[in-house]
Amino acid sequence: MSAEATPIAANNAPHGEPHSGPLVWAAIISITCLLLFLFQKILWLVVPMLLALILYYVLVAPLQWLIYRGVSREASASIVILVFMLVVVVGTLAAVPWVVSNLANLQSGVARYVDGGTMFMDSSLRGLESSFSILREAHLADTVSKRLAESSGSFAEKIEPIVVGLMTWTPSLLLAPFLAFFFLRDGRRFAKFLSGAVPNAYFERTLFLLHGVDKTLRAYFQGLIQLTILDAVTLALGLWLLGIPGPWVLGILCAILAWIPYVGTIAGGLLVVLVVATDFPNSAAMAYSAVALFGLVRMLDDFVYMPLTIGKSLHMHPLVTVLMIFIGGAVAGISGLMLVLPLLGVVMVIGETLGALVADDRLRARHHHAVALRKHAAEYGLSQPESN
Amino acid sequence: MVKLFGEAKLSGRLETLRAVSLFEQLKARELRIVDGLLHERSYLADEVVFDEGEDGQALYVVLSGEVLIVHPDVEGEGLVARLGHGEFFGDMALIDTWPRAAQARAAVPTVLGVLFRPDFQTLMSTHARIASRIALQLAREMGQRLRQRVDTATQGRGKL
Repeated sequence: MSAEATPIAANNAPHGEPHSGPLVWAAIISITCLLLFLFQKILWLVVPMLLALILYYVLVAPLQWLIYRGVSREASASIVILVFMLVVVVGTLAAVPWVVSNLANLQSGVARYVDGGTMFMDSSLRGLESSFSILREAHLADTVSKRLAESSGSFAEKIEPIVVGLMTWTPSLLLAPFLAFFFLRDGRRFAKFLSGAVPNAYFERTLFLLHGVDKTLRAYFQGLIQLTILDAVTLALGLWLLGIPGPWVLGILCAILAWIPYVGTIAGGLLVVLVVATDFPNSAAMAYSAVALFGLVRMLDDFVYMPLTIGKSLHMHPLVTVLMIFIGGAVAGISGLMLVLPLLGVVMVIGETLGALVADDRLRARHHHAVALRKHAAEYGLSQPESN
Repeated sequence: MVKLFGEAKLSGRLETLRAVSLFEQLKARELRIVDGLLHERSYLADEVVFDEGEDGQALYVVLSGEVLIVHPDVEGEGLVARLGHGEFFGDMALIDTWPRAAQARAAVPTVLGVLFRPDFQTLMSTHARIASRIALQLAREMGQRLRQRVDTATQGRGKL
C-alpha cells in the first residue's frame, strides 16, 4: 500500500534540507565555541576519538567490501582492524632497526639544518641592517643571535620533551584503533539505540539527523584526505621545479602539518626554509623562492583548496570557514584550530534539524497527543468507576 | 546442529517479514540482513505514524496490529485502506523524498518495522542482490497499482 503520490500540505513540515535563521546560527556558533573550550580540557579523550573517527572513515570501505562478500559485520570489523594493526606493527618493527642505525645521522642532520637556518636568518638580518639604518642602530642581528644562543641547548635537551610527550600520549593514542573497532562493529547498533529513545513523532526526522551527522563527518574526513593530497602534490611539484632535495618527503610532511591550520603551516614553512638554507647556503634567491612558493601554496590552501574540499564537504560559505578557523584558534589554541571545522559541521547539522523540529507545531502537537494516549493507557483501571 | 544446506528455520519475526510481499523473494540469510536494518516502533491506538504532506524518509511494515490510511478527500470517514499483519506502506519513500499522500494512524496497539531510506541505499551498495530483489518487488507493486488505476479509469469512462 502506498501512502505517497500527491503533495498536499496538511502540516507545516519543511521539505528537504532544513533552513535556519540568524538565531539558530548564533546558537550554532556559540555552542561550537563552548564545546571547543570544553574539549580542550579533555584532549586525552578527544584526540583518540578524532583519530578513531578518521580511521573509521578510512576503514569503512574495506568493511563494506567484506560485508558485500557475505562476511558478517562483526567478523568484518575484526578482520579489518586486525589487518590494520598488523600493517602498523610490521611497519613499526621494520622501521625500528633503520631508526636506531640512523639516529646518529639524524642527530647530526638536525643540528646541521638548525645551524643552516640560524646562519640564513643571521645573513638575512644583516642584509636588512645594511639597507635600513634604524635596524643597524638597534643591532637587530646581534640581538637575535644572542637570544638564539641563550635559548638553544643540546640535541638531547631539545629531544627530551618530544620523547616525554610521545610517551605520555601513547596510551591515549592506543585507544584510537580500539575505538575504531567498536565504531565499525557497533556503529549501526548505537544509532538504533539512540533513535530508540526518541518519541514516535520525531523518529523519522531523528533518523534523518543521525544520517546527516554521519554524512557530514564522512565528507569532512574525506575532504581532509583530499586536501592533504592536493597540498602534498602542489608543494612537492613546486620544490621539485626549484631543484630542492627530497621534494616529496617535504611535501608530505608539510601537508600533514597543515592539518593544524596556520600553526602547522608556519612549522612547515620553517622546515622548508631550514632545508633550503642548509643545502643552498650561498643562494639567497633559492631561499626566497622557496618561501614565495610556500606562501603561494598556503594561500591556495587557505582560500581555494580548503573551501573546495573541507569547506565544500560541510556546505559552508568560504568566509564562514575562514572566520571559524580564527575563532577556533582564539578559543582553544591549536586544538581549537584542528577541531573547529568538524565540530561546527556536526553542530550545524544538529542545530538546523533541531531548529526545524522545535519550529514544527504539528510534530509537537502529535507528540503531546501520543503522550496523552500513553498516560491514559498507563492510568487505565487505576481509579474506581463512580457509582450512581 | 548447523544446517549447511537448504533454508534454516525462521523465527517468528522473520516469518512475518517473509510474509511481506516486498521481501518474499529473499532467502533466510538475506531476511536476517534486512531484519538487522529494521527499526522497531510501538504505537498506541489512534497514534499518528505520519501525516499527509510530511517528507517521507522510511517504509513501514506492520509486524502486529492494524494501521489506517486516511485521506480527507475520500468519502465517508476518509478511510483509504486498513492494513494488517505483514502489509507495508510508505514504500515510495525508499526511492525519494516524496511528500506523504495520506495520513497513517494506528487503529489498535501496533508494532511497526521501519526501513530508513539511507539504510536501503547502503544495502544497494553492500548487498546489491538483496536490494535489487526488493526493488524488483517494489516495481511490480507499483505496476500493479498503475494497472488498477487504469482499469478503474477505463471502467469509469465506460459508464459514461
